[in-house]
Amino acid sequence: MDADHRTFLDATLPHLDVVYQVARQAAGPGQEPEDLVQETYLRAYAGFGSYRGGNTRAWLAAICLNAARSEARRRRRRPREVPAPALLYELPAVPIAGGEDVPDVADVVIAGLDAQVVSRCLGMLPEPQRASIVLMDVAGYTAREAAEALGCPRGTVLARVHRGRRRLAQLLAEAGVSHGRL
Amino acid sequence: MDGYNADHRLLGGFLAGDLGPAEARRWDEHLLACEQCWQAVREDRAGRQAAAVLRQPAPADLADRVAFAVEVAGAGGTAGRLQARLGDRSGRRARPPRRRARHGRRRRARVAGAGVLAAGLVVTLLLLLLPGGHGTGGVPPAVAAVARYAQAIPPLAREPHLHPGRRAAPAEVGRPVTVTAGGQQIVMRTWRLDGAEAVVAVSGRPFPMPARAQGVSGQGMAWSARLGRLGLYCLNGSTSELVAAPLPAAELAALAARLPLG
Repeated sequence: MDADHRTFLDATLPHLDVVYQVARQAAGPGQEPEDLVQETYLRAYAGFGSYRGGNTRAWLAAICLNAARSEARRRRRRPREVPAPALLYELPAVPIAGGEDVPDVADVVIAGLDAQVVSRCLGMLPEPQRASIVLMDVAGYTAREAAEALGCPRGTVLARVHRGRRRLAQLLAEAGVSHGRL
Repeated sequence: MDGYNADHRLLGGFLAGDLGPAEARRWDEHLLACEQCWQAVREDRAGRQAAAVLRQPAPADLADRVAFAVEVAGAGGTAGRLQARLGDRSGRRARPPRRRARHGRRRRARVAGAGVLAAGLVVTLLLLLLPGGHGTGGVPPAVAAVARYAQAIPPLAREPHLHPGRRAAPAEVGRPVTVTAGGQQIVMRTWRLDGAEAVVAVSGRPFPMPARAQGVSGQGMAWSARLGRLGLYCLNGSTSELVAAPLPAAELAALAARLPLG
């Protein structure tokens, strides 16, 4: 391995885990997260010569998201449609205690967390909110890093992540409540 | 009311962790009285905790895979390298004599027969790749697919060289077959050369190295392996080639150097 490879890998491989977190959520249907990570690193390596430094993991996240979008565009000819009601119907029931009182959304969500269900509900959020949540809450980016990766102001990211979290919590709670009533 | 609304707007600063001490005190007081903000905070927290369950550590071998891919990408094209690395000093690369091969009765008959053979092989391959087919014994799916394809070719007796002093050109047998295995699209061609047949599989992605494969000395991206009677020789690059034939590894490398790759 020559010096270029080593320099690049030394700078980027420590961030492999966070890139993988992003890739897991950004990969579309039929795309393996590992493939997306590899594609991200290959693109990053191709552009490493012109990379001016800065926040490496924000740079990698931006590349990963772009790579995922490129792949999604490539596959757009055959979109996979999942009707939202059907999706919600598949969600598992969340036991709700407390008689006739309307359960608190947060309690329902936290009590019934399941990664697969969360992932599905996350996929129902608008893309900007989803990307913000993935970067900050799943991959552990700061708001500033997420803003750099997404190319928007920090305040915008914070607003998106807040709206997205609330919507995510509501989707999860609604799923549990509606299923329990059926 | 103005003061209430101003406090209401502290929510964003609170969630961002941007409140100073004085604002934080005002916010705490507001939160005790404002059900709407309290609900927003709880839902925000619930959404954040829900998203956090999606964290999963990266697979242990992902770093090696990525490093390997970067190394391969940095090394550039493969076909010319393969020729150089395998010691073909002539500087010429064998070209597939597709059109020439169609001239002459014997070659025409071979191509026609091979077409039938290839069609049968496709069916065999599909059957083998269907769920419930033979196990791959830990060999990566893409490599296993190529090996199965090569194994399905009936062993041919070596023909005597018609012109011992001259190197015969490779002739393509049948038609290319495209399969997808392990998420990897692979185009496989069968070539006949000096009485031996070999499958050359080409893919845009590297062929993973089987567990018992060996790196080829001095060639960072090349590996060789033995699967039953089959020898495998692979060179990964921007396009990756995997040569499979019932030959010893040493002969396979020499054969690969004379085959049209890529």
